Amino acid sequence: MGCLPGEPPGQTVLVSPFPPDSAYIHVYDLQDQPVGTEPAARRRDDQRRVVAMSTADDGDTLPGIPNVGKADLDAMVENERPDPREELADVEADTDLGVSMAEDAQRVARGELSGDEYWEKYDEAAAAEFGEAYRETPNPAVDAGDQTVSTETAESLSCAVGSMDTVSAESAQIDGEGGGESDGGIGAGDEKWGMVIDLQKCVGCDSCTVACKSENRTPPGVSYNVVMEEEHGEFPNVTRTNVPRPCMQCDNPPCVQVCPVSATYKMDDGVVNIDYDRCIGCRYCNIACPYGARYFDFGENYDDEVDEAGEITSPEYGVDRGPREEGKSPIGNIRKCSFCTHRLERGEEPACVETCVGDARNMGDLENPDSDVARMADSSRAFQLKEDEGTDPNVYYLK
Amino acid sequence: MSTQSSRFEFDPGFEDDRLRIAWYAVVGVLVAVGAYATYLRLTGGMASTNLTSIVPWGAWVAFYIYFVGLSAGAFLVSTMANVFEVEGMHRIDRDALFAAVISMAVALLFVWIDLGRMDRMYFPFIWRQLTSALSWEVHAYVAYIGILVTELYFSMRIDLARVAERTSGLRETFYAALALGRLDTSEESQAFDRRWLKRAGVVGIPLAIFMVHGGTGVLFAVSKARPYWNSGLFPVIFVISALLSGTALVMMIYVLRTRLFDGDSVDPDLLDRLAQLLIGFIIVDAALTAIETFIAIASLHPHEIETWQVIMYGPMSWSFWWFMVGFSWVFPMVLLSKKSWRRTPSVMVLAGLSVVVGIVAVRFNIVVPAQVMPVMEGLPHGSYFPTLVEWGTSIGMIGVGLLLYTLGAETLPLTPLSGGDHE
Repeated sequence: MGCLPGEPPGQTVLVSPFPPDSAYIHVYDLQDQPVGTEPAARRRDDQRRVVAMSTADDGDTLPGIPNVGKADLDAMVENERPDPREELADVEADTDLGVSMAEDAQRVARGELSGDEYWEKYDEAAAAEFGEAYRETPNPAVDAGDQTVSTETAESLSCAVGSMDTVSAESAQIDGEGGGESDGGIGAGDEKWGMVIDLQKCVGCDSCTVACKSENRTPPGVSYNVVMEEEHGEFPNVTRTNVPRPCMQCDNPPCVQVCPVSATYKMDDGVVNIDYDRCIGCRYCNIACPYGARYFDFGENYDDEVDEAGEITSPEYGVDRGPREEGKSPIGNIRKCSFCTHRLERGEEPACVETCVGDARNMGDLENPDSDVARMADSSRAFQLKEDEGTDPNVYYLK
Repeated sequence: MSTQSSRFEFDPGFEDDRLRIAWYAVVGVLVAVGAYATYLRLTGGMASTNLTSIVPWGAWVAFYIYFVGLSAGAFLVSTMANVFEVEGMHRIDRDALFAAVISMAVALLFVWIDLGRMDRMYFPFIWRQLTSALSWEVHAYVAYIGILVTELYFSMRIDLARVAERTSGLRETFYAALALGRLDTSEESQAFDRRWLKRAGVVGIPLAIFMVHGGTGVLFAVSKARPYWNSGLFPVIFVISALLSGTALVMMIYVLRTRLFDGDSVDPDLLDRLAQLLIGFIIVDAALTAIETFIAIASLHPHEIETWQVIMYGPMSWSFWWFMVGFSWVFPMVLLSKKSWRRTPSVMVLAGLSVVVGIVAVRFNIVVPAQVMPVMEGLPHGSYFPTLVEWGTSIGMIGVGLLLYTLGAETLPLTPLSGGDHE
């Protein structure tokens, strides 16, 4: 774990005004980046090279490369840069201390000041200014393999509650207890996720299918979303309906009923999960699904089409399984749409919803009566696929 | 390997040594083909099959339910002797039980190779699902194999003890071990065995009918998404066709083993009795299937009607007309129609073989057609024919079954030493 003197602390203090809550979160964020003096030095070299190049641009323009006017750009950046004093004036903490810490942190980044000197200089002042909050800050040197602050200095500091890892783990736990989104792991959210697909808006472009394949990195033969095309009538009176079909995330899922090892189950947020570590690949759920929404992973790859196609996989159901490898789950398991649970958990819409060109797909909380999806699902246009199956899907369609 | 005793003669195994060599050569080829195909299956994964996400169940599942049926049927035939004490049936008691054990082992091999993650085959014993027929089935199969082995033991124990008594050295140890050390050949010990044989049979009958094979039918019938399977009559037909195939198998084994292993003549009365049983099962099986078809077509449910159209007129309709209707009903029915034919061993072997082969098509026609029709309009139709790997592995697993059966028939006193009925 890198420590402050690496490079960003200057910015840290600059961009984060001092309200104790947010200030430390910024510190965590920045310190999480593995920064050491050496890479920082290399980066400075890179910067110099960039500067040299753009200077050359200014002089004689290379063929085909437009002159970007570096001086103008620099001026623009300088204009946009907030005035540190103005920024810090808005917060309770001492403005002078903030500015001088920021300037010295930049010096550390440039190598003009050592990390030890920086910390020794400000330890006392910071402790006086922030009191308890400072003392609870993780010590940058504890347990840090590549730290640049010497152990003696680190031990002399007042902030000494433990390593960065333990503190961030504890704070995550506290967040969880507070009833945040991460409460109880994946799928335990308070929402009941539902999707409403407006068939009048769907143009049948299959973007959802493509977005889904690319988001979830599904192998050949596996497509969590398909668009079923139905033609009605005879020429010249022909109409065509496109019915996109993700997993319905049924309230009474037949797939869950039949799984002999309980590898597939309903989560609190309404999404039907598949535990790839438990699935034995018997494909009974595949047989039982009235929507044909389940796919077996036969282990095929796009290696002929894309180099190293299996290097990146999607963290489905919040589990990062690393590169796709033979004999490793989810190969030999059943797969299906998860409403992009991994995206929902970080506050994003499923890929199909986000990409839909006609804005036909909507995602939201069905239990919140004020949500768009709840209102649409209640409308007289709303229906579910195969309603008489008794599965009660959480995907609704608008006629 | 005759024993000194004049009363019991124990000489299992082929009468003809050349036939033995030829038979083991055939079985060896089957197992070798299967071993290579299994190697391809293990290295190539499920991609070595023609299965898809539209048709996820194929030949392996069809053979799995076929062998479960064969086992359940053979077992139920054995109970006619040891539970219902039908006269003259004791002769085939052990034959039927041993065939049931081997069939069940083969069935489980088919389930195993069909798993996407074969390494997780024991997971259903760690995690369960009360609403899953498959979860229940796995446990029923284990209990059922336990019952079968128990029954076979109590049925055969006294003869194992007798053989142990008359042999020495390793052989004696072998048979004594199989008898679990109970070497008493007195009347009381036999009465004890018979009592427990009956008890195990009484537990085994409902287990075999309702759980093992009826349950396997339920496994399909609960799939509401597949109207072709989703019927109350379906599990019943499952049991009837199991009885049909099991009886045919036992009849065939009885003739072949009596002729080729014991060098005895076949008892025409017993043969006739089995043949008449077979007639009854063919009639019930065909009639119930006709009722099921009629209900399906009369429902006018498009999915049902189209599935039956696929079965009767689709690209695989030959398997329905030739194998299901022809080999499992019409052809054997013709052979069974004349009393003199029913008492002719060679004709009855042909009838039995015809049914045993025909029921394979019945199982395929259960598994595959229901998956050809898409579950929703707009989804693609399925099509399926097994790959060489699927055929090869299937042949291999059947070969393993034949090998195990032959080894057993060559060493165990499957024919009661006292000759026939209870002495």
